[in-house]
Amino acid sequence: MTHDHKAECAEALDRLFEYIDNELPDDELIRIGEHLRSCPPCEAEHRINEKIKGMVHATGGEVAPDDLRSRVLATLREARKAE
Amino acid sequence: MTEIEFDFETEALSYMDQLYAAALRMTRNGADAEDLVQETYAKAFAAQARFTPGTNLKAWLYRIQTNAFINTYRKKQREPKRSDAETVEDWQLAAAAEHTSSGLASAEDAALDSMGDSEVKRALAELSEDFRMAVYLSDVEGFAYKEIAEIMDTPVGTVMSRLHRGRKLLREKLRDYAAERGMKDKRDSGTTTATAAASREQEVRDDA
Repeated sequence: MTHDHKAECAEALDRLFEYIDNELPDDELIRIGEHLRSCPPCEAEHRINEKIKGMVHATGGEVAPDDLRSRVLATLREARKAE
Repeated sequence: MTEIEFDFETEALSYMDQLYAAALRMTRNGADAEDLVQETYAKAFAAQARFTPGTNLKAWLYRIQTNAFINTYRKKQREPKRSDAETVEDWQLAAAAEHTSSGLASAEDAALDSMGDSEVKRALAELSEDFRMAVYLSDVEGFAYKEIAEIMDTPVGTVMSRLHRGRKLLREKLRDYAAERGMKDKRDSGTTTATAAASREQEVRDDA
């Protein structure tokens, strides 16, 4: 592994979450994307972290219970009366 | 007001499910989560004159809920806030990481495929509050770092640090669960397979 390649890996791993979260400026996004496509171990790290992000995403989506909805609407009526 | 009147109440109420889901992650308990959401709306309706239409109402509501949680529920809860010391430098140093060997990575990747929602929820619930909420707000709600910084009232660098460390811990927990399950499977299969039964029979005969 060349010294340059190692430095590229370090940068890609350092920026991996920002890459996954789409928080990088275009030039860095492109540069790191290119590195990931050309470096299987970095791409494996990327894939694992991306997968975990997707798994966490899938745990969301609870729905507020009906009684909470009525309580909040009651709070709203109180707030209107107070105005 | 513009021509199309901004209906604060309707807009605000449309986020109830999301605020409730976030409240569940904060309080980790259904009854407290409901109380927290109700308090959030009471505060939001009372403060609606301070909201600027056209700015991010969802983030504004999350901010109110986060503050309400810190002020009311955290005090009430038995569990003291764990202080995982965190600084930006800290993770930047730690991030000089190297990738794992490809064999380990593909085993880990495969193990993740067999993980269920409940295990991921459990791992997230085990993270300390700041890490848990940063990961939740990013991964489940899709907030940008800047929005999470506003909601958590903290610099963007701290958000990045929380995400970095929270996700690292989460990944370690999932790895541990997979390892625990692997060992359990081995034990279970050891007592049920025909070969194991046959070898036990043999032992019994040998002892007799």
